[in-house]
Amino acid sequence: MDPHLSTVGLSKSYRKGRDPVPVLDGVDLEVDRGELLAIVGASGSGKSTLLHLIGLLDAADSGRIFLDGRRIDDLTGRKRDALRNGTFGLIFQFYHLLPELSALENVLLPLAIRLGPLSYLSQRRSIRREAESLLDRVGLSHRRTHTPGELSGGEMQRVAIARALAAGPSVVLADEPTGNLDANTGREVLDLLRDLNRERRLTMILVTHDLAIAAKADRVVRLAEGRLEEWSPVFA
Amino acid sequence: MYKYLLCWRYLRTRYIALASIISVMLGVATMIVVNSVMAGFSTMMEERLHGTLSDIIVESFSLNGFNNPDEVLAAIEEAAGDQIDALAPSLQLFGYAMIPVGGGEYLTREVQIIGVRPEDRARVSEFAEYLVHQPREGQADLPPAEPTFHVPEEFRLNTYAGQVYQRTDPDDPFADILLEDMANLVPADGMILGYALGTIHRPESDEDLFIAPEGSKVILHFPSAGKTPEAKTGEFTVVSYFKSGMSEYDSMQVFVPIERLQFLRGQDGFVNQIQVKARPGADLEAIASAIRLTLERKWPTRFLVSTWEQKQGPLLAAVQVEQNILNILLSFIIAVAGFGILGIFSMIVVEKTKDIGILKALGASDSGVRGIFLGYGLTLGLVGSLVGMTGGLLFVRYINEIEDALSVMTGRKVFDDAIYYFPEIPTLVEPLTVAWIVGGALLIAVAASVWPAQRAARMHPVKSLRYE
Repeated sequence: MDPHLSTVGLSKSYRKGRDPVPVLDGVDLEVDRGELLAIVGASGSGKSTLLHLIGLLDAADSGRIFLDGRRIDDLTGRKRDALRNGTFGLIFQFYHLLPELSALENVLLPLAIRLGPLSYLSQRRSIRREAESLLDRVGLSHRRTHTPGELSGGEMQRVAIARALAAGPSVVLADEPTGNLDANTGREVLDLLRDLNRERRLTMILVTHDLAIAAKADRVVRLAEGRLEEWSPVFA
Repeated sequence: MYKYLLCWRYLRTRYIALASIISVMLGVATMIVVNSVMAGFSTMMEERLHGTLSDIIVESFSLNGFNNPDEVLAAIEEAAGDQIDALAPSLQLFGYAMIPVGGGEYLTREVQIIGVRPEDRARVSEFAEYLVHQPREGQADLPPAEPTFHVPEEFRLNTYAGQVYQRTDPDDPFADILLEDMANLVPADGMILGYALGTIHRPESDEDLFIAPEGSKVILHFPSAGKTPEAKTGEFTVVSYFKSGMSEYDSMQVFVPIERLQFLRGQDGFVNQIQVKARPGADLEAIASAIRLTLERKWPTRFLVSTWEQKQGPLLAAVQVEQNILNILLSFIIAVAGFGILGIFSMIVVEKTKDIGILKALGASDSGVRGIFLGYGLTLGLVGSLVGMTGGLLFVRYINEIEDALSVMTGRKVFDDAIYYFPEIPTLVEPLTVAWIVGGALLIAVAASVWPAQRAARMHPVKSLRYE
């Protein structure tokens, strides 16, 4: 079976003054459909950069990215926007919710971005119902009208998860989703992600430096010195 | 859809944006008020200028004028007879008026003496509309007067000599002397005196004091006809006043019977001006040039033909120039508002850097992000200019009430009608001007948001997400 998502020879370096600092140096990765892959690595090893490249938030210096066997890294702006909007669901360490919008509106945002005013307004009932059921699913139906400022960290991350799922993505990219949460809350969020991965057969790439979290994944790879290696952690 | 949602949300949560709305609002309101007042002034002025002048004026180059007015009138009729409503010859000179102020003292003023037939003059201009009588005791308004130089008999009978005469037997030998005295005190020839010549305005009581009341004798000195002018003198009785509202005219012009003036100058039949009233809607410039061509063919280099606008050209142009300069200066206000929007928007874009990154991560396009801020600018401009428009129009509508209130508060008259000669501040709202101002403000608001919007659109999603 072909992998759902793969990268070939992905490289990226940043400039520090005049000298290029390589971050990724030929990353090859294959993720199967429905797989939960954890990428571990030290801080600054380039985990987030890899995730941004896969999520088309950034452009690689060289290498290719394939989704369902089709190359996606060389797409034009509008098609990249569409993939970011509908195919990839992104979850960040710092939640990144829009402070002006309520929880429900934040969840609605990917759909509001996809749809023009006319189709949005004509479908608003069904869209809203969908977003409400997502909030229900992450256990926040009672927080719909609250703005991010009025939510706890765990609640914000749940909203962010609901938002990542709103546009019906097939791939979820989570960048340290529990990195800003206490251990209990982090575990809850992680369990939620795990459940969603199973329920919806979502392909998930989870970047973390916490090995205990990585242990919940189907497979763990380690990013070190710009390259990926399969890694089987030994859990104490 | 998210553009409208965020635009609306930013509008409701960023109160700093209100500052730019207010600056747009003030700019638009000021421009509307100033333009309406200026347009009101110039329209009112044009109306009065046109009212005192006829549509077209045919003048002779020489002050002495011409002795064949009938031929000239016939030539004008021939040139554009079907376009002409009425013609009125007049004799116009400069001279001095000596207005008695009591105790044998006189007030001497330089005046423009205009010899007319009042009925004719009334046909070619608004002359008759501007004629007023001195109000009687207890009358607040000036009663309108007929265009006539007729001196009522009561003026004579009201004089000291007249009082005595009424009690004297007509066969009394003194009766003749009394009659002579009366004729001396109240000359048989009437005069219509410029209102500002015959009155003094008292700012304290806001009253006009009549220094030359009706029935009083005014002496005019003017040059005689001929190569070497001599001073001539005529005595006239004030029968009514000319009050056009243009202080230049009201303080300069006196109207007297043309035949009497011709006689006193020693040139019967001479006139030096013909006033032409065109049919309503006629093309004045075309008629003027038709008359000019005909007259030049018959009598080369003797006549000057001009429309009322040409004659008042410099004054009207000056008003126009003033309005243009004011508009240029005031549009700087809106430009300042534009820079305000630019600054505030740049700030908001910086503040929203992370949100922009989030939107892009969620699939918002560059143009979509740009649209948020352009739409924001447009909305600010729209709200600002519509509120400004409403405020400006309300200000214009109630400008006289506002002026009264300001006068009460500051204790001095803001708009002194003694200086401007209009009882109220004249205003005229021109819809096209208002549309231009509102459109211009919108354009500036959008133009000022282009740069911040462009900056937002160009932001790199990863860098924006990491922005602290």
